[in-house]
Amino acid sequence: MIEPVELADFFVTFFSAAAVILCGALYALLFAYSRIRNMPRLMPLAYAAYAALFASVIVLGDAANLFGSLFWAAVMMLMLAGYLAAPHAVWHLCVTTHAAAQRDMPAAPPDSSSPETFQRPCKEKTP
Amino acid sequence: MTALGTIDGTNLNGGQKLAVKYFCVAAILFGAQIAFGLLAGLQYLIPDFLYEVLDFSINRMVHINAMVVWMLFGFIGSAYWLMEEESGIPVVGLKLGNLVFWIFTAAVAVVVAVYLLVQIGPGEHSTLWLITEGREYIEAPRWADIGIVVCLLVFFFNAAATFNKGKWTGIGGVLVLDLIALFGIYLAGMFYTTNISVDQYWWWWVIHLWVEATWEVLVGVLMAYGLMTVLGARRKIVETWLYIEVALMFGSGILGLGHHYFWIGTPEYWLSIGGFFSALEPVPLVAMVVHAVFDSGVHKMRSSNHPAMAWLIAHAFGNFFGAGVWGFMHTLPQINLYTHGTQWSASHGHLAFFGAYATINIAFFYIAMQKWRGNVWMSGDLVGGWKWKWSMVLLNLGMVGMTMGLLVAGYEQSQIERAIEGSTWAGYFAAQAHPWFQQGMFWRMIFGGMFAAGYVLLVLDLLTIGRHETRPAQNVSAGG
Repeated sequence: MIEPVELADFFVTFFSAAAVILCGALYALLFAYSRIRNMPRLMPLAYAAYAALFASVIVLGDAANLFGSLFWAAVMMLMLAGYLAAPHAVWHLCVTTHAAAQRDMPAAPPDSSSPETFQRPCKEKTP
Repeated sequence: MTALGTIDGTNLNGGQKLAVKYFCVAAILFGAQIAFGLLAGLQYLIPDFLYEVLDFSINRMVHINAMVVWMLFGFIGSAYWLMEEESGIPVVGLKLGNLVFWIFTAAVAVVVAVYLLVQIGPGEHSTLWLITEGREYIEAPRWADIGIVVCLLVFFFNAAATFNKGKWTGIGGVLVLDLIALFGIYLAGMFYTTNISVDQYWWWWVIHLWVEATWEVLVGVLMAYGLMTVLGARRKIVETWLYIEVALMFGSGILGLGHHYFWIGTPEYWLSIGGFFSALEPVPLVAMVVHAVFDSGVHKMRSSNHPAMAWLIAHAFGNFFGAGVWGFMHTLPQINLYTHGTQWSASHGHLAFFGAYATINIAFFYIAMQKWRGNVWMSGDLVGGWKWKWSMVLLNLGMVGMTMGLLVAGYEQSQIERAIEGSTWAGYFAAQAHPWFQQGMFWRMIFGGMFAAGYVLLVLDLLTIGRHETRPAQNVSAGG
């Protein structure tokens, strides 16, 4: 069912596993920051972080012998898809929940922190 | 209402008065955890130190049990703290709650005294009932186990009856449902079997499901309330997120239990289940980053209680690094084969418990102190504000240093003891004598001292913060 990691690959395994989580966080951070600050130039950096995550998963898969089994290869694919989609899904939820809460509030003058501001695509500039 | 800055019980409602009692005992037990941890750490470096006076096995046991109990006291206190504000009515059965607090505290004192007075002896049936049950981390004797369940049942009654009589909120609903699991799952650690695999199977229900399911949900409840109190976040938003978090936590956390079933004699399919869900467990943490950035953008980080806010942020980071990064580094069975039960686990455990649970309890200590002193100013330019900042620096740096020291020792153990020597006794001793292990343990001790200094400063700060303030707390209400 599993093929244990070779002694020589211990460090690579630990390092690449840590890199998966850290790059995942960096991707999420840059993704969200780019959107909340309306700074589209940060978005390529976010996807660069995801690319580093992708590379880390491949290195981890190689070091931990995950390519030898269909099941473990599927786990890797699911991880890659999950990390890619999670920030998009959570952003969508953030905007929706804040907009719903805003609708329940008494009318207030619009400002830059209004949830509607965040619903604009990244390419648009705040007036 | 008394003068601002003066500690006065009339500033608190009934539930909050009970909460501060729990917080006081929690803070004392936190000190005990650190003291016994330092003794156990020193015994790694000087094995003869206090031998047959206060053995390593006892120091380690009290160190870990004190941690479990102080966090539990902190959580229970925090729940009582928010109960009346959330439900809109006084706590139902408060007298019973107070009585149980004193019984619970006395029982903890008796259990620890017995641990210290009866360190070795025959393992008989009566030992299980009166001295120790012998299960790692939940060593309390059977009478105390039953007592814990009864206390948690009373706590559940207080919460359920209060919300039922008052108004149900999202926070109240999740809290009450979680408390059912809190006492229910503890029962799994109480029955005795002669098969060690079966015994471990159920034991992990308490250790993993308490920690990675019920405690995490409880922390989600506290975080939701904390964000509303400190940051002025809107109820509808935090409650929506609480539901999402509960779904994500249970979705990945419950079957993440499988990563504890890799090597205890359970069927091989647990390798797949544990590996699969362990790989997914960090996804909610990554999702949390997006939410944190979004919320900080909305609220511009204006808080009514800077120390509490700082500890809530430390909670988010600590949870991410301790549980996420340190957990995933060695959770896949292909590498966990070599790392489980080494100082790797201790490294992960230290950072994860501190990051996920100690931090949020400390945040609530500060929330409580603010109101206990008449809802005093605790935002920028706080008089004597250096103390909370330095205690935070010392505690966090101390914890990171200990984690790194244990990481080095665990890395060496996984190579020498496990991979090269094949988990033999000779391999165990070879790993213990290796310079990397010794140096890792030495630095763990140094940073343990730093952590202890941070604790002393924390207690000093909690006793004095806001004393010289005359300004009322900053209003950050979002109106929701």
